[in-house]
Amino acid sequence: MRLRTFPQGVFLPHHKEDTAHLPIVRVPEPSRVVLPLIQHTGAPLKPLVKKGDTVKRGQKIADVDAFVAAPVHAPLSGKVAGIEDWAHPTMGRFQAIVIENDGKGEEDCYEPLPETIEDLEPERLRAFVREGGFVGLGGAAFPTHVKLSPPQGKPIDSFILNGAECEPYLTCDHRVMLERTEDMLLGLRIMVRACGARKAYIGIEENKRDCIDHVANLLRNFPIPAEVVPLRTKYPQGSEKHLILAILGREVPPGGLPLDVGVVVNNVQTAAALGRMARTGLPLVERVITLSGDCLRKRGNFEVPLGILLEDLVHFCEGFTAPPRKIIMGGPMTGITQVSLAVPVIKGTSGFLFFRNVPEKREYPCIRCGRCVAHCPMRLLPYLLGRLAEERLFAEAEDNRVLDCVECGSCAYVCPAGIALVHLLKLAKFEVMHRKRGGK
Amino acid sequence: MEELRLVTSAPPHLKSPVTVPWIMQQVVFALLPAAAWGVVFFGPRLALPPLVLSVLSCVGFEALDCLAFRRPLTVGDWSAVVTGMLLGLSLPPGCPFWIPIVGGGVAILLGKQMFGGIGQNIFNPALVGRAVLLISWPKIMATWYARPAFALQLAQATTYATPVDVVTSATPLGIVKAYGYSAVWDTGPSLLFRLFVGLVPGCIGEISAFLLLLGFLYLLLRGIVQWDIPLFYALGLSSVALFARQNPLFHLFAGGAVMGACFMATDYTTSPMTSRGRMIFGFGAGALTGIIRWLGGYPEGVTFGILTMNALVPLLDRMLPRRFGVKKV
Repeated sequence: MRLRTFPQGVFLPHHKEDTAHLPIVRVPEPSRVVLPLIQHTGAPLKPLVKKGDTVKRGQKIADVDAFVAAPVHAPLSGKVAGIEDWAHPTMGRFQAIVIENDGKGEEDCYEPLPETIEDLEPERLRAFVREGGFVGLGGAAFPTHVKLSPPQGKPIDSFILNGAECEPYLTCDHRVMLERTEDMLLGLRIMVRACGARKAYIGIEENKRDCIDHVANLLRNFPIPAEVVPLRTKYPQGSEKHLILAILGREVPPGGLPLDVGVVVNNVQTAAALGRMARTGLPLVERVITLSGDCLRKRGNFEVPLGILLEDLVHFCEGFTAPPRKIIMGGPMTGITQVSLAVPVIKGTSGFLFFRNVPEKREYPCIRCGRCVAHCPMRLLPYLLGRLAEERLFAEAEDNRVLDCVECGSCAYVCPAGIALVHLLKLAKFEVMHRKRGGK
Repeated sequence: MEELRLVTSAPPHLKSPVTVPWIMQQVVFALLPAAAWGVVFFGPRLALPPLVLSVLSCVGFEALDCLAFRRPLTVGDWSAVVTGMLLGLSLPPGCPFWIPIVGGGVAILLGKQMFGGIGQNIFNPALVGRAVLLISWPKIMATWYARPAFALQLAQATTYATPVDVVTSATPLGIVKAYGYSAVWDTGPSLLFRLFVGLVPGCIGEISAFLLLLGFLYLLLRGIVQWDIPLFYALGLSSVALFARQNPLFHLFAGGAVMGACFMATDYTTSPMTSRGRMIFGFGAGALTGIIRWLGGYPEGVTFGILTMNALVPLLDRMLPRRFGVKKV
């Protein structure tokens, strides 16, 4: 099998064997869910319900009159207990709608789509996607309908479904590709139709051979041109820019988007959830996540309602074999550490990892070994950018292309001196953007 | 549920197991075969004191510097050991005991600590030490002691006889400088073979191209160094040799070329960060080595060739790689 890839990057120990073979388990509905008013990249939402309202599963409970936003729906039927300031897994704290489960299981879903996807108007499909609250479920949480709306003069010829799942430990996309394949392919058709692409590619890293074979099998007799592209297992293969480079040989220009090179990329799980809504009318109210690490008693892949609290998940997994020292939302390369078990699962939650062993790497001065340069998938000079950030020379950092950084963490992973390079580069990016917007 | 004590930190939460001391230790390992051969070939009496004293001097001076300026002790990173090894291996066997001590002091204090310690220096510390010794005590640095005949020694070793008479001798590059290029080919048969395996007089650790290349191969397989600098060094040196109508293989295997190309020029801190920069750097250092050997006053050009290119590294580092998403201009 010929494997496609991109230059540089790193080979990581992927630690997927702990959960990759475990089928998706449905977690029972919790007594309470918490739905933050921001779970996507874009404008925060305004609640459509108030304290005391009863809501049904699938009912829209928050939206905003902005293009770059995705509404939120109730994942279970119950009563709105309040709209409160609540712990948020990536933003510290944020306003959130709290729903107490009434156990009635009443649903208020949308009209399913007819099966003749290819005959539907792209406009209607985009509206369907927006209404369903879809965002990139790979973690970036960018509203899906925005990606599917190419501006005038930027035609889309290719659609890529991202099944790389290059972050270590995470296996939820792996299981979705195996167990929700029909829904995923239905969602793929909707997205391809919505953006007008002529060909679809499904990029899957070769450490998921079973997915490659399974999806390729189901693509026989598929109504639109589509192929599985086996990818070399290398980090960050799942990064949009590197996926496009590997599959199509195109480089997204600096500051540009995939649509600048005629491509739309979306995550496999987004497609699966969208296909499910097309089939059943249920909007995005659930997702599959991986719970793993070195101290969780019952690891695995779980289908959970959005808004379920981390403490309920830990309880369902029968607690810890030893108290964790570090809890990460997302993968270990880009994930965010958590400080409490009160955080809810949001749309961009690909999993939680629990670690007892937190290896510390002693910090030395930079020895100029060049590993960060040799591995940076964006061909940046992270050592230089890190130093410029430390010296607060942000204009120089911008000249040296700091905004090109995709924050994959390859540089900091390989650094033998243990320098927090991504952290410094993120700081520089933040400062540069801040200045660009007129702040001084 | 019990109270959790959680740490927060910036991603990535995975780190490669490669650390600075580990890298330095691998370099020391890689140099051991060549060092061992030096000790066997010249005998422990001639080869061991410079080596040991050089390492002790480098580590000692770094420790003293840290204490004197009340800075954290940095000798645990093993980089001073590497500098000591490199310096010791590039000294003539049988040199006076104070040569490695002074050389190590210069290498560490002037070559490294004065710039701010590990990672900050512009010039390769071991070469700074060696250059100062070359300029200050040219006669000592060009006096090569050797045991009279190694083959004879081997024979005697089997009968436990130990008459070790020491003589001075000339290195192949010394013969070239003193008597002309053709003279060196009259020193005996299979000159290139003797150069390659290390059966000629020379600096303690520089005589066996084969064992140095073996050590370099180890570093290459361990992912510690890249091939670009040595390859382009060889290209640069060979180009000059061909231009001077001399045998490139002679120049590659003679003197400190292999040591310089594989272990001195590849020093992380004093070589460029980008692949393109390293190629230019390597080629330049190799070409300068050849030019100095051919036209310069010294028989050997490795030290000054690499030091000169060291000075250009900040400039070479300003060359950015092709930007992602931008076509070549």
